[in-house]
Amino acid sequence: MSEKLKPAKLLVIASKAGRVTKRYPYDEPLLSPDFRGKITIDENLCIGCGACVNACPPNALQLMKDKDTVVLRYFVGRCIFCWRCVDVCPVGAIKGLREFELATNDISDLYVHVVHKKAKCEKCEGEGATQRMLYYVVQKSPIVEEYLNECPDCRRKSFIDSVVKRRTGGVSE
Amino acid sequence: MSESSLILKKYMDLANVFNASVTVDGDTIHILAKPEYLPKIADKLFNEFKCVHRTCVATDERPLNGFFSLTHLFTDDSHGFYISLKTYLDGENPKAPSIISVVPAADWCEMEARDLVGVEFEGRESYRLVLPPGWPADAHPLRKDFQYDKRPNILPVGEKVSTNEEASTIPVGPYHPALHEPEYFELYVEGERIVDVKYRGFHVHRGIEKLGESRMTYQQVNFLAERICGICGFEHSTCYALAVEKAAKLDVPERAQYIRSIILEIERLHSHLLWLGVAFHLVGYDAGFMHMWRIREKIMYLSEYLTGSRKTYGINLVGGVRKDINEEKKSKVLETLSTLEKEFKEIVEVAVSVPQVKRRLTGTGVLPKEDAVKLAVEGPVARASGIDRDARRDLPYAAYKHVSFKVPVYTEGDNLARALVRIDEVFESISMIRQLLDQIPKGPIRLEEFEIPPGRIGVQVVEAPRGGDVHFVITGEGKPYRWRVRAPTYNNIPALRVMLRDQPMADAPLTIASIDPCFSCTDRVVVIGKDGVIKKLSLTGGVML
Ligand code: SF4
Ligand code: SF4
Repeated sequence: MSEKLKPAKLLVIASKAGRVTKRYPYDEPLLSPDFRGKITIDENLCIGCGACVNACPPNALQLMKDKDTVVLRYFVGRCIFCWRCVDVCPVGAIKGLREFELATNDISDLYVHVVHKKAKCEKCEGEGATQRMLYYVVQKSPIVEEYLNECPDCRRKSFIDSVVKRRTGGVSE
Repeated sequence: MSESSLILKKYMDLANVFNASVTVDGDTIHILAKPEYLPKIADKLFNEFKCVHRTCVATDERPLNGFFSLTHLFTDDSHGFYISLKTYLDGENPKAPSIISVVPAADWCEMEARDLVGVEFEGRESYRLVLPPGWPADAHPLRKDFQYDKRPNILPVGEKVSTNEEASTIPVGPYHPALHEPEYFELYVEGERIVDVKYRGFHVHRGIEKLGESRMTYQQVNFLAERICGICGFEHSTCYALAVEKAAKLDVPERAQYIRSIILEIERLHSHLLWLGVAFHLVGYDAGFMHMWRIREKIMYLSEYLTGSRKTYGINLVGGVRKDINEEKKSKVLETLSTLEKEFKEIVEVAVSVPQVKRRLTGTGVLPKEDAVKLAVEGPVARASGIDRDARRDLPYAAYKHVSFKVPVYTEGDNLARALVRIDEVFESISMIRQLLDQIPKGPIRLEEFEIPPGRIGVQVVEAPRGGDVHFVITGEGKPYRWRVRAPTYNNIPALRVMLRDQPMADAPLTIASIDPCFSCTDRVVVIGKDGVIKKLSLTGGVML
C-alpha cells in the first residue's frame, strides 16, 4: 500500500474492531475476577481489637470509645479499597466484596457501625477492652483468666500486690 | 584495582580536596562537606564527572542534632552510583550557598527547600515557588515544630498576571486545555510567535511529605505514595518501598521483585498508550485517539486482573508485594500481550503516517541536547534529545538486571522524537514482561518479619513512564523521619521554556503535552480557598459532614 493510502487502513481496523462500548448498566460491567470493591464487617465475628484501624491508610475505619461502648466505624467515602483490613483482621471478620456502585442519596448508607460493650472492671468500675476481646484472649492463652475481670490498672495493681505478698510470705507489716 | 574501586577512588579524591568525609553504603556514596564547598563539589560532579542532579532535600534535623541539613542528590548513571552530597546548616539561621550557577537544574529544589524548610540560599535571586503567596513568610511547614494539621492565618492576596509591554500575554490555564490538570502558563506572543514563557504551578501542593512524616506508618505510606500520581502511582510506591528497604538493608524475595517489575512495565504500557492517544487528540486526529484508547483498555483490564484495581494497584508493601501471579494469570497476560502488540503496531503505523499528524509533530517543540543536559530533564524528553539514560538499565532495581532491553534514543529533540521514543518503549516493555514472566522464580512474595532501624538513609530512583522518580528516606521511629519525593515532571517543566520559545502559538498545547506533564504529582502542598477562608478538616476525627 502506498504511503498516501496508509491512513485509509484505519477503516479496515475500525470495521474489524466493531462496537466496543459497553451498554452499561444494561450489560454486565467489565470487571475482572480479582476486582477489589467495598468491604463488609461481620459484626458477629468482630472482637473490636482495632487491628484493622491501625492498618487502614486513609482512616476509613475508626474506633470511637465512650464510657460503656467501643464503636468500630467504617466510612466508605474515605475507603480506598486496598483491603489491608481484610489482611490483618485476626478473626476474619472483614470480607472484601466486588461491589463498586456506592452512590446514594442517604448519607447514612455510607457508614457501618459495629457496637461493642466494654468490659467492666470488678474492682474499680473502670473500663478496659471490649468483652469480646477478653473472651478471645482467654481462648488464646487461658493463663490470664484470673485477672480477666479487671481493668488494666487494677490488673497491674493486683500483680504488684501478689508479688509483694510473696516476698513478705503473705504477712503484711 | 577493579573498575568500581577506581571510580570510588575518584570520588574519595574529590572529597579529600575539599576536606569532606566519604562513606560508601551499598550503591550510595555519602559525601559530607562544609557548606562553603558545596558549589565547587557540585560543579565537579555535574560538569566534570557528568553526574545527573536529581534533586535536593532540606531536612530539619534539630530534634536529632540541633542542625538543619541540605542534601544534593546526584546519580552517576554510567557507573551505577548514587551520590548524596550533604552539609549541615546552622540550627538558628540556616543559610547555604546556591549551586544554580554551576547546576542550573537545582533551581526549583532550592526554592522548595526555602519555602518548606526555611533555608536561605546565598548568591541567587529568591522567589516563592511552592507555598501560596498569602502564606506567612516565617511559616515553614516541613519544620518539625510545625504541626501537620496546623493552618496558619492566610492573607487573601491575588496574584497579578504579568503583562509584558512589547508582547501580548496569553494565559494558558488554570487548567490545561486537554490534560485537565491544574497549571498556569503565560505565553508572551508577538504575532503568532511565542517570545517568552512564564510558569506558575504548585496550585495543588498536597502536603504529602508532611503527612507521611507525621501520622502514617511505614506500610501506610506505600498507599499514600501511590496517590502522588494518578498515572505512574505504582512507580512511586515501588520507589518508596525500595528506598526504605535499601535504608533498612532488607533482603526482599526475588519473586516480589519480579512481580514489581512486571507491574511497572504494565503501567508504562498504559501510560504510553494514553499519551499517544492524547497527542493524536491534540493534533485533531480523534480517530487515532479512540483506537489507541480502545487497545489501552486491554491493559487496564489486565492490571485489574493482576492487582485488583485498574489504577492505584495497592499491592506494594515494604518488604514485598501482596498479590501473586499464578500460571493461569501468566497465560492470560501473554495472550493479551500478543494481541496488543499486533493491534498497536497496526494503529501506530497508520496514525503516524497521517500527513497532518506527521507535519504537526516534526520539528516542533525542539529541545537541544545542551539545554536538556543543563536542566537535567528526565525520561522520554531526555531520550528524544539524545541523552542515553534510563534508570532501569543504569541503576538497576527490582528485577531489571535479569532482562535485556534496548533504550531508544533519538537526537532530533522534537515532538516527533518524543512520540517515537514512547512508541519504541511500548515494544520493549512487551518484550520485558515476556522475559520476566518466563524467568520468574518460585518462592515467597514478601518478608514476614523485619525491623527498620531509625536514622538510616535510603535513596532510590525508579524510571517512571515520564522519567525518573526520586524518593529519599531517612528512617525514624515507626515512620519515616524525612521523606522527600521528586516526580519527573518537576525537572521537565523548566525545559518547556526552551521548547516553546520561537515557536508558533498553535503548537503550544501539543508541546506542553509532549513532556507528558503530571502537574499534580509535581505539586505537593495545601490548597487554600481564594477567599482566604480556611476550611477546618479534622484529620483525626474523620471527615465532618
Ligand atoms: S479497604 Fe483499605 S481503606 Fe478501606 S477500610 Fe479497609 S484498610 Fe481502610
Ligand atoms: S481487625 Fe477484625 S476483629 Fe479487629 S476490630 Fe477490625 S474487624 Fe474487628
